[in-house]
Amino acid sequence: MIDVVFVIMLFFMVMAGAVKVEHELKTTLPGNAETSTATEIPDEITIGVSENGQITINEDPVGTPQDKTLDGLFNEMTKLKQAAIQSSSKLLITVQAEEAARYERVINVLDVLARADINNVTFAVAEPE
Amino acid sequence: MAGGGGGGDGEPEFQVAPMIDVLLVLLIFFMSITSSQVLKVDKNISLPVASHGVKRDDKAAAGLINISWDKTTGQAKYKLDDRELDPNDKDGIAKELQARKGTNDKYRLLIRADKDCHAKYISKALEWAGEAGIDNIAFSGLNREE
Repeated sequence: MIDVVFVIMLFFMVMAGAVKVEHELKTTLPGNAETSTATEIPDEITIGVSENGQITINEDPVGTPQDKTLDGLFNEMTKLKQAAIQSSSKLLITVQAEEAARYERVINVLDVLARADINNVTFAVAEPE
Repeated sequence: MAGGGGGGDGEPEFQVAPMIDVLLVLLIFFMSITSSQVLKVDKNISLPVASHGVKRDDKAAAGLINISWDKTTGQAKYKLDDRELDPNDKDGIAKELQARKGTNDKYRLLIRADKDCHAKYISKALEWAGEAGIDNIAFSGLNREE
C-alpha cells in the first residue's frame, strides 16, 4: 500500500511542477472623468504594435518584430519610470495596436510593462487610416 | 544505557502509521492543487505567455470572455463564460455585463483570447465592457510556454 501511495504521490508531485498557471495583466479603459480641481496631466507615452509585430515608442521603432523578450522596450520603460519617479510625475502608457496585430504581441508588450512595474496602462486599437 | 527513543535493545522500531498519515496528507494536497489548475485550461484557446503578470484571482467578482480563433476563416468566436455570444448584439451583451456588474465598482472583465487572435476582436470585447461601464480589464496569459 505504501508503494502505491508513493507512486501516486510522485505522479502528482511531477504533475504539480508541470502545471501551467494562468496569470493576468491588468489594464484600465480610457474614459472621461469630471473634476472640479486642476488636474496634473501625466507624461503620456504611446507604444505602437504593428501588424507585422514591430513595436514602436512614440513612433520610433524598438527591437525587431521577432524579438519576444523586448529587452530594448524594457530598458526604455525602466528609464522612463525612473525619470517619472525623479520628477514626481505620473507615467501613462497607451498601448495602441493595429487592427490586425496579433494578440500575442500585445501581451508581450503588456508583460514587459508589468516587468518594469508600470501600472498606469491603457489599451486601444488604432482605427484604419 | 538507554537509547534516545529506541526504548530497548537492538534496532529502533520503524513506525509505519505516522508515515502513512503524512503520505496521505501530501497526496491529498497534490491531488487538490493539480485538479484545480487543470480545470482552468480551455483546450480551444491557446493563451500567450505572460510570465510577469499576477496570479489570477478567482475570488474577486469577474466576468470571463473567452475569444477563440478560427485559423481557417480568420474569425473570432466569443463566449461569456460558457455561453456563445453574437458579436452583432452589442446592446444585449452590454446589458448582460451591466446586470452582472450591478453596483460593484470593483467588478472586472477577464479576457482570455487566443494568441493568434487579431487586436480588433479584442477591441470589440473592450467596447462591450465600456458600454457596460466596466473599466477594470485583465488579460489572461500563461506563466510559461506550452
